[in-house]
Amino acid sequence: MSEAKVRVIIVEDEPQIRRFVCDALRREGCTCIEAGTGREGLDAAASGMMDLVILDLGLPDMSGIDFIRDLRTWSPLPILILSARAAEQDKVAALDAGADDYLSKPVGVGELLARVRALLRRHGQRNEARPQHRFGEIEVDLTRHVVTRGGAEVHLTQIEYRLLAVMLANSGKVMTHRHLMQEVWGPGHSEQGHYLRIYVARLRQKLEADPALPQHILTETGIGYRFQT
Amino acid sequence: MKSLPPAHWRWARYPLAAAFCILTSLGGFPLRDFLDLANIVMLFLLTVFGSALWFGRGPALMAAFLSVALVDFFFVPPHLSFAVADAQYLVTFAVMLAVGLITSHLVALLAERTRHAQLREHETRILYQLARDLGSALTLGQVADITQHFLASIALDATLLVAEGPAAKPSFQEFGHRHLTELERNIARSAYLSNTIAETDSLASKNVAVAFLPLNAPTHVRGVLAVMPRTDDIASVRSHRHLLESVALLVAIIIERLHYADAARHSELQVAAERLRTSILSSLSHDLRTPLTSLVGLADVLVQRQPALPPDAVETAGIIRDQAHAMHHMLSNLLDMARLQAGKITLNKEWQPFEEIIGSSTRLLKTLLARRRLEVDLERDLPLVHFDAVLLERVVCNLLENAAKYSEDGAQIQLQARRRASALEVAVCNAGPGFPETRMERLFDPFVRGTNEPAVAGTGMGLAICKAIIEAHGGTIGAENHPGGACVRFTLPLGTPPSMEDEGR
Repeated sequence: MSEAKVRVIIVEDEPQIRRFVCDALRREGCTCIEAGTGREGLDAAASGMMDLVILDLGLPDMSGIDFIRDLRTWSPLPILILSARAAEQDKVAALDAGADDYLSKPVGVGELLARVRALLRRHGQRNEARPQHRFGEIEVDLTRHVVTRGGAEVHLTQIEYRLLAVMLANSGKVMTHRHLMQEVWGPGHSEQGHYLRIYVARLRQKLEADPALPQHILTETGIGYRFQT
Repeated sequence: MKSLPPAHWRWARYPLAAAFCILTSLGGFPLRDFLDLANIVMLFLLTVFGSALWFGRGPALMAAFLSVALVDFFFVPPHLSFAVADAQYLVTFAVMLAVGLITSHLVALLAERTRHAQLREHETRILYQLARDLGSALTLGQVADITQHFLASIALDATLLVAEGPAAKPSFQEFGHRHLTELERNIARSAYLSNTIAETDSLASKNVAVAFLPLNAPTHVRGVLAVMPRTDDIASVRSHRHLLESVALLVAIIIERLHYADAARHSELQVAAERLRTSILSSLSHDLRTPLTSLVGLADVLVQRQPALPPDAVETAGIIRDQAHAMHHMLSNLLDMARLQAGKITLNKEWQPFEEIIGSSTRLLKTLLARRRLEVDLERDLPLVHFDAVLLERVVCNLLENAAKYSEDGAQIQLQARRRASALEVAVCNAGPGFPETRMERLFDPFVRGTNEPAVAGTGMGLAICKAIIEAHGGTIGAENHPGGACVRFTLPLGTPPSMEDEGR
């Protein structure tokens, strides 16, 4: 982490899990603030000067979703969810409520730090406009609406282009199906989940080297998609 | 039950009525000089009226005629002769006779109605009592006992047949003092199926069922009440038919009540068991996963510590981490299997291309697949399939994991998807030793593993979980060996995907 002292709150009722998360974060040069309950976590966040919240969804005093809603009423702090695998619905609810990313337990140190770094980086450049994007052999120029693959122009339909633009804008972040549907088709299309999946498949056909094993447009099964460069 | 008056009383009524008339004559005779004939007639009419009231219609009719005769003989001049001096007395006689007849008829009718009403009231009272007794019954046996006890009071017996199983082809549970014959049972069945009362006079004899009343409860016909006489008086069954119908209705309602009470108790038990199971599973899941999560994380912190620990300590920490990981994996498998076997998973199905989950599955198994050559072979333009992505990802992961575990470094693993007649067929094949032939048919049972050697880690749950998930989707799964390797194939039924408006290009 480039900044001198990044301050991270870990909201988790298990002291052993807090301990290893903090150990890992301290190694990265972060300051770790431990909170055993949702209340403590919100109080710590309210004290200001925070950069990130790591949140366990199973808190003793409040649901993780309520925590996120509460925090989101007054803070844009990035939130990273820790949750058991096989709890996809909880993760989707948390992401839709305003969380930024999630990790499934058990989680390794490397994975945890990679996600924390990515979130902090995204948060840092939140307001920067980036008209040009480059990933693999694809180049996207958002100002001219041109997508090229290895120099040759790729024709995208309007919806495909809009979908790609939304993904680029949320690069590195997990996007739920609902979020993407709303961004691309507008509200009221949540019944037509297959549209999204079909258009993602088409985008992969046009942009991925091997559409069955995509490198950029990744499926987060049961949750949504993640774009990575 | 109130029966008809005894026979000796029935015959004694006539002389009594006659005696009444004669007494009136004797009483009136000394007064004939003081009383007008009209008043004498009144006395006789009173007598006829009294006879009708106390003795019934027949004696009253006799009294009416006798009174006319007595008035003529004793009171109409010439006295002590049936001759009539003045023709106007004929009018007196006619009126007297008519009034006597009408009165006796009306009074007798009234008496009859009263008796009928009393009979009805009695019937209602005993039915009410029966209903009360049946209300306390807790089993079908008790219902039968109470009904038989009740019918015994009117010299009848009954066998209760309660229908079980499908309505069109019921089997009957019998409650009675003796077993019904095949013939009786067949009649009962037809009464049940047609929901009409069946009566069989030809069979009639003591202790043979002669009336079969369907037990017609509000929602279903619940069975049949077969009624038989206890005495030789076969007709008594017929004369009580009205009462028997009411009894059948009562019994039907009680049986239905017992049925629903039983169903409610059963579902209550099921709910309690289900709640217990779910709470055990979720607390197991939480209490075991949490320390394993800490263990994986804490060991990983040691592995990656800066400055680094001595190499053997790093190695040990790495082993602890990997073992904790493996244990977590096993635990997840066990819990998933428990959920799947209980048949209580809800599928979160969506229409989607199958290739959606290939990339995510291989990403999850990145490290394991790094030393294998994975070849993905998908037919072009596969249709959308309706499936639960999370669960199918589980299937594909388990199959790829197996294929990797039971093959050498650098071996090829193939993942194919093809369109078959009405299903999508997916095959995961590897180059390796294949499945042991002796265990082929038990591969998909829980805790059965491909090889005897415990060198390969796993609980043997993987294929069982795959089977449960695929079957929940209405598909099939099977394994086969081929020279130099093995394949597991599964199918997912193809339906009609929802339509989609395509945008203009």
